[in-house]
Amino acid sequence: MTMQLTRRSAMFMTAAALSTSTVRMAQAEPTVKAEDVIIAWYKLVLELVRHTPTYSPPVASRSFAYVGVAVYEALASGSSSLRTLAGQLNGLKPLAAREPGQQYDNAVILNAVLARAVTDFFGNTGPTGQHVMERFGAKRRDEVRAGVAQGVVAQSEAYGEAVMAHIAEWAASDGGAKIENMGFPYEYQLTKGEGHWVPTSTIGQQQMPLLPDWGNNRTFAMKNGAACPLPPPPAYSEDPASEFYKQALEVQQTTKTLTPEQKTIARFWSDDPMLSPTPPGHWMWIAIGLLEAEKANADRIADVLVRLGIAVADGFIGCWAAKFEHDLLRPVTYIRKVIDPKWETLLITPPFPEYPSGHSTQSGAAAVVLTQLFGENFAFVDSTHARDGIKPRAFPSFWAAAEEAGISRLYGGIHFRAAIELGLEQGRCIGLHTNALRTRT
Amino acid sequence: MKLFRSPSIAVLLATLCAGSPAWAQDGPVIPAFTDETAAAGINSTYEGQWEYMVGGGAAAFDCNEDGFPDLLLAGGEKPTHFYRNASSSGGALKFVTETSGLELGEVTGGYPIDIDSDGVMDIVLLRVGENVVMRGLGNCKFERANEAWDFKGGDAWSIAMAATWEKNAAWPTIAIGNYIDRTEEMSPWGSCTDNWLHRPDAGGTKFAPPVALKPSYCALSMLFSDWDNSGTTALRVSNDREYYEGGQEQMWRLLPGKPPELYTEADGWKYLRIWGMGVATYDVDADGYPDYFLTSMADNKLQTLANVPADGKPSPSYKDIAYAKGVTAHRPYTGTDLRPSTGWHTQFEDVNNDGLVDLFIVKGNVAKMPDFAEKDPNNLLLQGADGKFTEAGDKAGIASVLVGRGGAMVDFNLDGLLDLVVVNRWENAQLWRNTSATAGNWIEFRLTQDGPNRDASGAVIEVKSGGKVMRREVSVGGGHASGQAGWIHFGLGPNESAEVRVRWPNAEWSAPYALKANQFAILKRGRSEAAAWQPK
Repeated sequence: MTMQLTRRSAMFMTAAALSTSTVRMAQAEPTVKAEDVIIAWYKLVLELVRHTPTYSPPVASRSFAYVGVAVYEALASGSSSLRTLAGQLNGLKPLAAREPGQQYDNAVILNAVLARAVTDFFGNTGPTGQHVMERFGAKRRDEVRAGVAQGVVAQSEAYGEAVMAHIAEWAASDGGAKIENMGFPYEYQLTKGEGHWVPTSTIGQQQMPLLPDWGNNRTFAMKNGAACPLPPPPAYSEDPASEFYKQALEVQQTTKTLTPEQKTIARFWSDDPMLSPTPPGHWMWIAIGLLEAEKANADRIADVLVRLGIAVADGFIGCWAAKFEHDLLRPVTYIRKVIDPKWETLLITPPFPEYPSGHSTQSGAAAVVLTQLFGENFAFVDSTHARDGIKPRAFPSFWAAAEEAGISRLYGGIHFRAAIELGLEQGRCIGLHTNALRTRT
Repeated sequence: MKLFRSPSIAVLLATLCAGSPAWAQDGPVIPAFTDETAAAGINSTYEGQWEYMVGGGAAAFDCNEDGFPDLLLAGGEKPTHFYRNASSSGGALKFVTETSGLELGEVTGGYPIDIDSDGVMDIVLLRVGENVVMRGLGNCKFERANEAWDFKGGDAWSIAMAATWEKNAAWPTIAIGNYIDRTEEMSPWGSCTDNWLHRPDAGGTKFAPPVALKPSYCALSMLFSDWDNSGTTALRVSNDREYYEGGQEQMWRLLPGKPPELYTEADGWKYLRIWGMGVATYDVDADGYPDYFLTSMADNKLQTLANVPADGKPSPSYKDIAYAKGVTAHRPYTGTDLRPSTGWHTQFEDVNNDGLVDLFIVKGNVAKMPDFAEKDPNNLLLQGADGKFTEAGDKAGIASVLVGRGGAMVDFNLDGLLDLVVVNRWENAQLWRNTSATAGNWIEFRLTQDGPNRDASGAVIEVKSGGKVMRREVSVGGGHASGQAGWIHFGLGPNESAEVRVRWPNAEWSAPYALKANQFAILKRGRSEAAAWQPK
């Protein structure tokens, strides 16, 4: 099984497929498939995540979860094989059922859901995003409507909008709906005492940590952000015999002797906001590629994407809860103070506490969920960054990819080993909560 | 009437203040600006929707040989506005709309440059569509010269421009920075179109077909700069990370007769990815090498060489000193809107004539982006004696919260004080006269040389006054879609004179020119004496 499509070519292929459908619609046959609608919109969502300045990785993960739930519930209400998540996800009340005896078109419903979803979640994007959303929405609307009876279109669109309205109302109360100043608080009291996080950037905005309250957000599948706690990191010490010093020395020495392969790994998983679909978006690209390759139907796509979205969203909430509980300083702070004043990192150090590693936690969660959905030792090729000139990488399993994502942060000089290894384990715990959801009847 | 414009008054006040001038005691002197937009007759708006979210330049240059800078303001989808400067020396600003031939539509910005070295200023008009070179005919009349000069204007979304005269070239090399592919309506991201390099043809009297600068990453500003004092300028390009894939900030090595070549990590070039929007250069930290201010969103960068080696051969590795210098300018400094800022045109100039260069930044939301400040005041960051900058835009009276884009800080009324024009999107441009009463002394001069490159683009200027050295390059480019040509201004503080050295293009440093404060002068290559000049 491979995923070789680049983002642009895949998007065009979907568009081409839809265009073909448009031609056939001249024969008054509703041939736009629900699965094509989901995939096309998700690719736009991934672009919008990359190009909307508030979309740091935690914020991106939240949007993936809610969009996923909306798509899933819109389909589940008319599916004999999908079971609603209402009652299973925290705070999600039962959604309105479809009217008995009425005809609906899933493609039209999903298009309405996703058009409203991008407006709700990306209404703050820039003028180009707005420009694209407007044109993309109009084109897709025309395509899914073609060949569908007017009454069915009206009924389906109204239902889709009702589903998304329900989801939007639910989302509004989770604590993560309002992002100000790109997630950086205007005021924040740094924890006093050695070993705690201090700013590592000379960017004015980043003198405060990103999203310090994110760990208090309502979770989806697990009880709360503390549901998968971590032991404390190695005790802070500047003693060369201490475990803390040894882990810092490992980072410093590793980064000074990086092999080309290690540099490649660090950059492959860098997944910087505004320059990539972010870490949770990276896993979304992987999943979408796999679903396209297996020609999955809409129910399967919705099942995979909702579970993955929930896993990474809960992953970031759990991770952030732990980050601000332990509030550990970054390697660059420690190493420059204690080991090497001129030490430089390969990657830019993110502006928030170190322990655990966010990419590790959410990658661990994603890997656990995708393993359940696609199988153990499922080999795949990840070409998420092909358009950015970064070569695809092959992995023997999802967990192997998660482990590489984790260790990439040590190569990049932004995490100690404990944050990576325990972050992955935290992710495993969080992913199991998602796996416990019952989506199939 | 400004203090210190007359040497006798300056001496008197200096004596009264016992060697400690009032303007230097409590930090930088706050300049005063008076909005004279309406009275001066400026009525120009940068119009248009998506294709005009960037651009909106101003060009200031003298096209009728009276010494007063005339003004071109980009109109976006509407025609440009050309204004003849009808101000009198030291008086209120006055501009008169005249038909110049420059009144084209779809113009995003413009840069004055005497392309054919005939002593009459020409101008390059950047456009959404075909770029046009306009030949100056004298008396502020212009005609299209694309065909006469074999300039292929192309069809792109052009925002940035810079020019240089390569070694021994009789004709300039012009770089054009292009933005996204505007036909990619469904997926504009990743669609950056090629920048172009228009070099001289074999005969050296026209342009050769342009060379694509591959890779290109959606340039919004560019300038030629002799970053390593080698005598050869390189092309710095500031790119908008919103649209590129795999991109970064760039610098191109441009050696005569050779294809352009990117500086890479192997050369020491450091990876930087920002929403690059504007560039300005000046040797801010007096290390002898140009520094670069890069405008962006929610952050701005001030780059200086990471290491200045003893052998004088640095690698192109830069560190950001914006935070240390107090010029991050990342959010509004006045009003209640604290959301992140959006920076565009930027320029280093000494607005209070204290001998310390200051920094101006035009601010404005891209287009109702709710995560960024809607009321985003322009910045005027004044340098203090400790090398750090403090914000004074509100106190100086230029903290406009209109949606700014391009601009120019120019002495429009030739009184030794730099005035200010800002182009706004969807709203009228703004013009402020510098009416500071407590500014220091100043000098203004122009460089000229015979033959090609008459305005000595590529020269480096060093001004010594009062024990300090100020240093900057003369170049065509930078800012945001906005160019200037003409008087070069330095503040002198309380000092009565300055020594000016010029490293003329492709030459060694000149002997010092002795200039007295508060005077205009012409410095001609090959002549040891500066020629005094006075506005009529």
